[in-house]
Order: sequence, then structure tokens, then C-alpha cells
Amino acid sequence: MSKERRAPARKKQNLLVREGVSEVDWKDTALLRKFISDRGKIRARRVTGLTPQQQREVAIAIKNAREMALLPQSTK
Amino acid sequence: MRHYEMMVILDPSLDERTVAPSLETFLNVIRTSGGEVEKLDVWGRRRLSFEIDKKAEGIYAVLDITCTPEAVKELDRQLGLTESVLRTKVLRREVKKARKAAKAPAAAKA
Repeated sequence: MSKERRAPARKKQNLLVREGVSEVDWKDTALLRKFISDRGKIRARRVTGLTPQQQREVAIAIKNAREMALLPQSTK
Repeated sequence: MRHYEMMVILDPSLDERTVAPSLETFLNVIRTSGGEVEKLDVWGRRRLSFEIDKKAEGIYAVLDITCTPEAVKELDRQLGLTESVLRTKVLRREVKKARKAAKAPAAAKA
């Protein structure tokens, strides 16, 4: 039955931050860029695979960086 | 006394070499009130990801300061009044080293 068939669960990127970074720095734009889409939106947690705490930390960092024109404001 | 991190975006038409000395004059506010400027890091000219005051570039500077809340407030106010300053941001952040140091003894006990 087609209902039973599901796309194979893709492995989450899970804890991209943990690859060396224990604390998110809002000045580290290279890192933060990995967490925004090409339109500048913050990627959802189901995409980034971060824990709620990490996601919050990243989101706040991105918003701070945006204020200082380090990252684009999301457009469209 | 608290630790603050401050970022300043300056007018790109300034000479990058004059940035550090001109910021120093502002930092006297901190020093006279008994604070300490731990780091003055001038990143240099950098593209802004969007225009601020019709300018596409800015000179970034990052400061690490330990001082009283009143002193940073005054510094921020004075920078805000200066025309060559496009934008400032003050954040209160704990120093990473301090956090690690606080964790280390706890781990040693356990």
C-alpha cells in the first residue's frame, strides 16, 4: 500500500554547531550563514537538527548580527 | 563593574588608520570612571549586508570593556551623537574564560 511507503528518513545534520563550536558567537558570520536560507531566513529546527537551547542561541546571534549589518535582513 | 562587548560601525569615508586614535578619545569616559578597556579591535572596512544611511560599507570596530553601567551608557550616548558613527551595539556578555574557569573547579570536585 502506498500509504505505508515513506521516503527514507534522512539523517539530520544534527548538531552542526558541536563541530568544534561550543558557544555561538554573533560575530562569526561564516558559521551563522549556515543557519540561514538563501533569502536570509533563519532555518527551522527540524532542518538544523539543533537542540532547543542551541537553536535559541543561534537565532539570537543571527538577530544581533543582522542589526549590525553582518547578515542580510530576510527579504521577500 | 561589568563586562561589556561593544561594536561600532563608522563612516567608510574615514581613514582606517585614524579610527583607533579617535576612538581612544571617547574611551577616556571609561578610563576616568575607573573602567578598563581590555581590547580594541578594528576590523577595518567591510561591506554592509544592507545600506545604512545610504552607505554600502562601514569600518567595524569591536571593544571589550569592563566598567560601570553608567560609563558604557555615557560612551554609547556620545558615540551616538557623533556623525561619523553609523551604528553601535552594546552587549553584556560573560567572558568565555571566566565561564570555563568556573566550570573547571566544579568538574575537579566531582
